[in-house]
Amino acid sequence: MNRLRPLFITIALLFFAGWLGFVAYSYLQLGRLAPQVESDGSLPPLQSGSAIRGAKVYAAEGCMTCHSQQVRQTSVTPSDIDRNWGKRPSVARDYLRDQVAFLGTSRIGPDLSNVGVRFTDPIWYYRHLYEPTAVVPGSNMPAYRYLFKMQKIQGQPSEEAIVLTGPHAPKEGYEVVPTEEAKDLVAYLLSRKQDYTLPEVPPVPEK
Amino acid sequence: MRHESSLSQVQAATNFSEPAPLHATTRAEIDASLRFPVLLFFRTALFWLLLGSILCTITSLKLVVPCFLDGINFLSYGRLLPVALDALLYGWAIPAGLGISLWLIARLCGRSLRCTKILVAATLFWNIGVFLGSLGILCGYGTSVPWLEYPNWASIPLFIAFLLMGVWVVLLFLARQPRSIYITQWYLLLGLCAFPWLYATSNMLLTWGSVQASAQGPIIAWYSANIFGLFLIPLALGIIYYLIPKITGAAIYSYYLAVLGFFSLLLLAGWSGMTLFLGGPIPVWMVSASVVATMLMMIPVAAVILNYAKMIQGQAAALKESPALRFIAFGIIAYFVATLLNLAYAIPTWNGILHFTHYSNGVVLLTLLGFVSMVLFAGMYYIAPRLFGFSWLCACSIRCHFWFAVVGLSLMVTSMTLGGLIEGLALDDAAITFVNVLSFAAPWRWLNVIAWMLLLLSYVSFVRLFGKMLFRATHPDQKASACSFNPLASVS
Repeated sequence: MNRLRPLFITIALLFFAGWLGFVAYSYLQLGRLAPQVESDGSLPPLQSGSAIRGAKVYAAEGCMTCHSQQVRQTSVTPSDIDRNWGKRPSVARDYLRDQVAFLGTSRIGPDLSNVGVRFTDPIWYYRHLYEPTAVVPGSNMPAYRYLFKMQKIQGQPSEEAIVLTGPHAPKEGYEVVPTEEAKDLVAYLLSRKQDYTLPEVPPVPEK
Repeated sequence: MRHESSLSQVQAATNFSEPAPLHATTRAEIDASLRFPVLLFFRTALFWLLLGSILCTITSLKLVVPCFLDGINFLSYGRLLPVALDALLYGWAIPAGLGISLWLIARLCGRSLRCTKILVAATLFWNIGVFLGSLGILCGYGTSVPWLEYPNWASIPLFIAFLLMGVWVVLLFLARQPRSIYITQWYLLLGLCAFPWLYATSNMLLTWGSVQASAQGPIIAWYSANIFGLFLIPLALGIIYYLIPKITGAAIYSYYLAVLGFFSLLLLAGWSGMTLFLGGPIPVWMVSASVVATMLMMIPVAAVILNYAKMIQGQAAALKESPALRFIAFGIIAYFVATLLNLAYAIPTWNGILHFTHYSNGVVLLTLLGFVSMVLFAGMYYIAPRLFGFSWLCACSIRCHFWFAVVGLSLMVTSMTLGGLIEGLALDDAAITFVNVLSFAAPWRWLNVIAWMLLLLSYVSFVRLFGKMLFRATHPDQKASACSFNPLASVS
């Protein structure tokens, strides 16, 4: 066994080299990044409680399997910015306020890192989640009707009821209202904005 | 392997195919002690394989027909896909790999197993962990961290169960009778020691939330690369190093090449993986290091493949005779192709196009199903008859298993990489709207559905055959039903 010890130590060192480089470094350096303090608050901006709960819905529904949340460097590809998915590449500090960084590895749907900039109306999100093809013809996103309640209208129609058309619209005398989960999810999506400037990433000049 | 050995010892070592041939009674003793636990590993693994591939077929169909099983929360695409992939990794590949490792280590160390009750309990514990984790995702407690989607509480039983299972391999190794160490043992020990560290540190940092989100990217990429590079791939390589010499009778072609392959893999695997977030919000030096490591990966891959190829060379008869060797041959080819595809993916300008398409998932599935799983099947084909005490019952089921897998996997890789390339080119052109990009990708996604159906057929025929073997083992007096389904009889 004694003759094997140096060999085992070599193997362990080789194994831990990669771990130290990537995992320990990330923990010690990227894990200690601090918000950028400005005169009118800190960047990235703080998130509402509803948006923080919404991130849990985003995780539970596995939105990440189809949607990324990162705008790539222009040196790799300019297409992310050309597609209007962001004004500048994403950097590590953009994720500072999140519990989990949903960077994503596939784009079966569009990137969402700046979806809150592109669409600002909550009703748009509700209608899209309820029946995607009614809002974006040709979309292959599944419907999230289970995040909504269909209920009988009693007296006055609810203020939260969503105006819908199409095959899944409610019948006469019924209305569709979002559940708490849907409201949180939409609050989270609305908070997806990397529209501020950080010193480490200069804005990309407009073409 | 022992660099301090004198030259004569190394020379002697090059001529064995196993440290010292075991006595027949020792072999029988080892097999008897391992019969129940190893078969239990295989049985549970096959259950999850079948479940995982059924769910993968459903999700691949949902991708092209979004209204299929629509509007039911636990059947939504975003919940089913992680359940399916995790079932293939944690349910199938890891227990099957452990079962095979246990047997190989016992044989190579010349020791039989005692106190198997703890091992059996650990296996059940592991499967409960996988079951609870899957249930957790379906009920909406998934974490959405790639390959660590199980709710964080499910990682505790999985981790403890793995330690309880893995410790047997280490104990067997420490008590080994022939003192020399064969290359297989090195690979298996590396994989089995790497997994607890990989799994524990990544889970602690990611799902238990002790690191802030800005630092999660590199850790995610590190785990999803190394769960293959430092765990499943070493297991598969070790299994191949055992099986080829056993089946063909050929000695290892070059022991020095084997040493080179082992150490260069160990050095490079840990540094690859960051190409997953090339251009993304992680430090650029990490990406550069990974690009270099991925390119250099050709060294370990070339070293092992050269070794294997020289051992298989001129063994046409054995290839025809032995299903295990055929599965290994396909696995080696898949490993080579996956390495090349990974290399192309690491070139930054190409990555700009291929990233976020089906390409990268295609390479992962090729590694998991084309390389690792095919080698695991080979191991099962070799080991199971020795545990059952009789040979495989039906040659045509084996042929179905092999050829459906070959056609299905080839179709899957073609559809995902070529389709991914076309999808990527469309995505790269901002003049093409996103909905139009979908129409470029759709035909390839249909091909992928067909590929999954073929794979499912392949796995069903193996599970059916394995079930027959189990039935025969428990009912020795009854004659097993003759095989009637034989569509590929003419294909050998």
